[in-house]
Amino acid sequence: MTNLVAVDNKAHKNLRINPAKAELHAEKLNLIPIVIAEFTNLAVQHPIVITKHSEKGEFVCSALFGFAAEENLFWQKGQWQGLYLPLEIQRQPFFIGDADDDMSKNSGDYVVCIDVDSPTVSEYTSVNSASDLPTLFTETGEESPYFQQAKQFLAQLLQGKIDNEKLIAALKKFDLIQALSVEITFINEQSTRLNGLYTINQEKLAALSNVNIAELHQQNLLQPIYTMITSLGQLYPLIERKNDRLGK
Amino acid sequence: MNPQNKATKTVVVVGGGIAGWLTAGRLAAHHQSNTESGLKVVLVESANIPVVGVGEGTWPTMRSTLMALGINETDFICACDASFKQGAKFAKWVDGSEHDFYYHPLVLPQGFTQGDLAAYWLNKSGDNRNSFSQEVCFQEALCEQGLAPKTIRTPEFGSIANYAYHLDSEKFTVFLQKHCTEKLGVDHVIDDVIAVNTLDNNDISSVITKNNGDISGELFVDCTGFSSLLLGQHYQVPFKSCADVLFIDTALAVQVPYDNEESPIASHTISTGQEAGWIWDIGLQHRRGVGYVYSSKHSSEQQARAILADYIGEQFNSLTVKKIPIVSGHREKFWQNNCVAVGLSAGFLEPLEASALVLIELSAQMISEQLPVTRDVMDIAAKRFNEAFLYRWHKTIDFLKLHYILSKRSDNTFWTDHRDPQTIPDSLQELMKLWKYRSPADYDFTSNNEVFPAASYQYVLYGMGFKSDYSHSPHLLNDWNYADQQFTKNKRMIEQASASLPTNRELLNKIHQYGFSTI
Repeated sequence: MTNLVAVDNKAHKNLRINPAKAELHAEKLNLIPIVIAEFTNLAVQHPIVITKHSEKGEFVCSALFGFAAEENLFWQKGQWQGLYLPLEIQRQPFFIGDADDDMSKNSGDYVVCIDVDSPTVSEYTSVNSASDLPTLFTETGEESPYFQQAKQFLAQLLQGKIDNEKLIAALKKFDLIQALSVEITFINEQSTRLNGLYTINQEKLAALSNVNIAELHQQNLLQPIYTMITSLGQLYPLIERKNDRLGK
Repeated sequence: MNPQNKATKTVVVVGGGIAGWLTAGRLAAHHQSNTESGLKVVLVESANIPVVGVGEGTWPTMRSTLMALGINETDFICACDASFKQGAKFAKWVDGSEHDFYYHPLVLPQGFTQGDLAAYWLNKSGDNRNSFSQEVCFQEALCEQGLAPKTIRTPEFGSIANYAYHLDSEKFTVFLQKHCTEKLGVDHVIDDVIAVNTLDNNDISSVITKNNGDISGELFVDCTGFSSLLLGQHYQVPFKSCADVLFIDTALAVQVPYDNEESPIASHTISTGQEAGWIWDIGLQHRRGVGYVYSSKHSSEQQARAILADYIGEQFNSLTVKKIPIVSGHREKFWQNNCVAVGLSAGFLEPLEASALVLIELSAQMISEQLPVTRDVMDIAAKRFNEAFLYRWHKTIDFLKLHYILSKRSDNTFWTDHRDPQTIPDSLQELMKLWKYRSPADYDFTSNNEVFPAASYQYVLYGMGFKSDYSHSPHLLNDWNYADQQFTKNKRMIEQASASLPTNRELLNKIHQYGFSTI
């Protein structure tokens, strides 16, 4: 469970973070929310799909890592095997306070929160602080270079949220989202039907007028749209990964 | 031009309640009234109509009706104070005791299309047997937990468990009016109809209004409520009472506020048997609609008020009670010449099993899809419509009666009178005889115009303790393997659905915040 508290240079003076452990947060995720800026990084290994937010039902972009709940096929032998770790994981253990509510109204005054129960977080007393792990603050209470970089990830996610919303709005406007229905049979003869995944309706995309295509282009949305389509080919290597695992 | 070949270009709907707007909307949507070449639909309504304004229950058919009208489910739910309804809970109908209840859910019994589970349930040993609706259908468990039939991720009108709505009828009327006039191209005239002009063949040529002169058309739809202005008053089509079968003749209705904004909303209609009738209890988003329908021959109004007050509790004293007469029955026919009646003008029954709105929907759909293109085919359309709806009213009366004949209550002659064979239609007695030896099956209901399916009869029969005797046909019980699989599957579905569904209130709050997506 996450236990979010606002980051504070007194209370969290002695915290040390092990960024390498951030990937632990992906261990049990078969779908990870992603932002447009990451599409090309992810498309080389993962199908990029649209799913619905579990609480709001709104469309969100995600990368597929496994076929069942809690199955991450890129997590093997206790470590991350993928080429690229999504921002959503890299940002651990930091979050933006009130991320879902006042964010758009508030003019840049965000509260950075930390999940103090994250496996990346440990507390050192001054006695045994001989560690290479970064702290959040310097001796004088200034933000450490590590913390500044962590905030960069959060800023990218914030911008990503806006970009994603722009993409989803355009896809909805032109009615380009369709349910992805795939039934897969693995080598052990077990079948699974992928539910709740959506993708681009290629027929409707092809039938868009020049004006509408130009609009998508001007919004820089054509590239992510085609990246999503191409990335669906990664379903096959992903099935192979699953078969490999079953074969062992 | 030969008047027999006159094309149907304009339909005039008289009356602006739910029946009027649903019929006008259905016609306008199907016949493209918002285009130049489409059918012209005019709705005339008086400015001075009183509104009954109680909560209304629908059938799942309302989802397809709304879709046919091009309505967005999120808009509908937000505008009409609507909530989800997953069937009805009948409490105190069998013996009146505290633990006496059964469900008529909207999901078919498990494996209904593959094999009849009712036979096996009836012969299951008593120790490990739950009630019929609990054992064969996962929906009762959802209702008992106050859960919604879907999640915010389910597309609009899609479901995890089949559902209908509870809605505020006044708000629904306003919503339909706006949609029909702004989107579907229905012309709206607010005026009183004071008389009609007729042709030589007795057809109505126009209705005469107080301020807008004559409004002419080729087909007139009478949605004028109990007054039945065109079909009843003008054409004098007789009313066929069914008060000899169903005795309820009065309703006392109240609107009950919730304790607070987060009070749970029941996701089913609660119908509780009382000494001379029953109380409906419908949960909308912002209030409940509650009412006692009773037979004035079996109870005084004073007694009835006392029973309603007892059901509601302390709050009752601060509520306004509306008294509504219920005249049970229907016109002998519904379509005469070029006039067809929809809604209360066609007939009315006590609100058990929410038959009022579904009969309106079915009427509107048939009129719209079978709309006579010219006058010379109208009599055929009328004949077929009359056959279809006489059958539907008849079957609805049978099904409502079924709820009474299986009761064992004897605290008032209301209940014992209902069980008098003289008051039970032959058609129902015949079916009851068949079911002595087997469960209701689809073959018992073979018309295209059926209203209640075999599954509904099973839920009521076995919910009320009826027993079909399979001792002469033990070979029909030779696949316990199949039956046990289905019972187990149902248990698993209860677990899965219970773990994944939000409460009715939670989902409604989310719909207001985020809305459903279309896919």
